[in-house]
Amino acid sequence: MTQVELVELAVNKSVDARGTACPGPLLEAKKAIGTISSGDIMEVLSADEGTKRDIPKWANKKGHEYLGTVEESGFFKIYLRKG
Amino acid sequence: MAKLCMGLFSGSLDKLTAAGVILSGAAADDMDVDVFVLLQGARAFIKGNENKIDNLAEASHLKEEFLNSLESLNVSTWYEFFEMAKEMTNVKVYICSLAGKIWGGEKLEDFNDLTDEICGIGEYLTSAEEADIHMFI
Repeated sequence: MTQVELVELAVNKSVDARGTACPGPLLEAKKAIGTISSGDIMEVLSADEGTKRDIPKWANKKGHEYLGTVEESGFFKIYLRKG
Repeated sequence: MAKLCMGLFSGSLDKLTAAGVILSGAAADDMDVDVFVLLQGARAFIKGNENKIDNLAEASHLKEEFLNSLESLNVSTWYEFFEMAKEMTNVKVYICSLAGKIWGGEKLEDFNDLTDEICGIGEYLTSAEEADIHMFI
């Protein structure tokens, strides 16, 4: 997906994990994905550099679709579709 | 489901924190986890000791800097990491019976609420043999 398509996605769940370092964002993503339905879109906001690589790998392993990452000023928005 | 077996020999704050972060990753991945608490580690699991652990295994001369960074980065305590992991996935904590005795703990009630069983060394090795990942900290 392009950056424009990503930011225009209708997000079902937004997780703001900018206040925590690794493994906080991954834990918050894991908790939050249990609260949404298959096919729903979730975004994870993280200011942790490691999360940018960690969450896509985790998502693929757990059967969720990694849609892409948008870099904002000082943080990332990572988009997933629940499998 | 993958299984992780961890031998937790260290009872130092830095290594306990690392163990907690690794358990969090395992929890995010829904792994089954066996933690075997060995010699020095058992001191941290004696009831009431969780907040008394403040020694570092490495770079102990930089302890203040280390502790300040953990705080400013909003890192959970090692105990909180273990609690969270136990809430999220199947984590069993076993205390080696010899290690427990060395630090004054013989029965399950002598240890903190993270603790599931007191065990012998055979159970640790059997768990390691069956695990997909084995690590010793």
